[in-house]
Amino acid sequence: MSEKKLAFLPGCPSEATALDQEISTKAVFKALGVELVEIEDWNCCGAAEAEDPKLVYALNARNLAIAEKDGLDVVTPCSICYYNLARTNNALKADEKLRAEMAEIDPSLSYNGTITPKHILDVLMNDIGVDELKSKIVKKVEVKVAPYYGCYIGRPLETAFDDPDDPVLMDQLIELIGGENVPFSYMKTKCCGGPLMMTRADIAFEMARKVLETAKNAGADCVALACPLCGMMLDAKQPDVEKALGIKIGMPVVYITQLLGLALGIDPKSLALEKNTIDTKVILGKVV
Amino acid sequence: MPIKTWELDPNFKNEILNEPGGEHLTACYQCSTCTLGCPITEIVPSYNPRKIIQMSLLGMRNEVLSNPDLWICAICQTCTARCPQDVVVGDVLAAIRRIAEKEEEAGNLKIESPRPLFEKAFLHTVEKYGRLYDIGLALEYYPKREGGKVSGIKAMMNDYKDFGMRMAFKGKMGPLGGHGLLKGVLPSKIKKTDVMKKIFEKVEGK
Repeated sequence: MSEKKLAFLPGCPSEATALDQEISTKAVFKALGVELVEIEDWNCCGAAEAEDPKLVYALNARNLAIAEKDGLDVVTPCSICYYNLARTNNALKADEKLRAEMAEIDPSLSYNGTITPKHILDVLMNDIGVDELKSKIVKKVEVKVAPYYGCYIGRPLETAFDDPDDPVLMDQLIELIGGENVPFSYMKTKCCGGPLMMTRADIAFEMARKVLETAKNAGADCVALACPLCGMMLDAKQPDVEKALGIKIGMPVVYITQLLGLALGIDPKSLALEKNTIDTKVILGKVV
Repeated sequence: MPIKTWELDPNFKNEILNEPGGEHLTACYQCSTCTLGCPITEIVPSYNPRKIIQMSLLGMRNEVLSNPDLWICAICQTCTARCPQDVVVGDVLAAIRRIAEKEEEAGNLKIESPRPLFEKAFLHTVEKYGRLYDIGLALEYYPKREGGKVSGIKAMMNDYKDFGMRMAFKGKMGPLGGHGLLKGVLPSKIKKTDVMKKIFEKVEGK
């Protein structure tokens, strides 16, 4: 990767429920020598709750415009922030009238479409790349992993950076660090249920159960993911899923940056592995 | 269900076509790929996006707008990614939901799902603080959903008491957090909240 500096959009969960992802992302990029410059005064992307495309464009035009002033591509660890940034970028790049409309709301929304928003998984595997990662790996993380991609990494096609039905980037990263991918292709891109958690918890819990139990039945030591909302649903809410459905799952769920960090030789505390809801000790015992 | 042709609204499809996201509705040729791959249909068999589109094309406006299944889409984009006709099914459903919300605001429809209340409460915190504020969201959403402050707080505690304790114990929220004493408890407010206010005023025409 030629550019060693990226604008960073942490996303709202980074400050609380996804603190483990935030801490491990920063630790990993530091170890890889890529500077993350937090977008100054960044705002919420609108998540799945802003259903009016114009509102999404306006909220994300501001974040993009701030990063554009520094001439930096944006990277985010959140799949829905990525989706909203990327579709805004596409829409504004293609439509001069829409750009003018944004600037008219407020001058700080003036975005010229000169930068590219990216997801951390994309940056790690496609920009930094396998060779560079390989050269920095000092430990083997010999865990059996269910690689879970969720919705916005491979869908929709306009913003996707991996295959919609059988994405591979996380699988490749897990193999690179010495892990083993369990058979999980059917579940890789199924929705975790997160967007329905507050309005139809019954459906959301059933969706989360399917992902977690499939991983468990496939013999995984843990589920790896790359989105703080999947993390919320599958890890932080896992005890609630168990309680509501009267089952026991106990499946550790970690961010891909936490696994990569272990392989880079970063100590587990600096990757916030004690902050995941389901105990992650089983993983630490398999780092050699 | 017999279709009463004299009750159909032939203009309904145009209403959807004119709503952002609804532009490709008429490209649908009813192949059902959207529904066959849908993770919600797997759990709720009545959920059928293909049928919602067919009914919309036929002009069954009342039946579509009052269909409770409109509100259980998880916006996972599977239908959109797989549609051979590029209908952008997820966005079409979102467009129909927005028409339903407008009808409710005009007093012509009662939406049983709490989802519009949730989305509004979410966006209110973004408008006010520039970022999502979970607790502010819950304090607005639950009382509205339950139709009262006391029952609302009770429902909120029921859903989030254990969760809150877990997050506090793990240092992700509250006094044990390593990132400030009240991290996650108080809102994280951006400096330019005036810009947020402008965005919501101008986009939503408030």
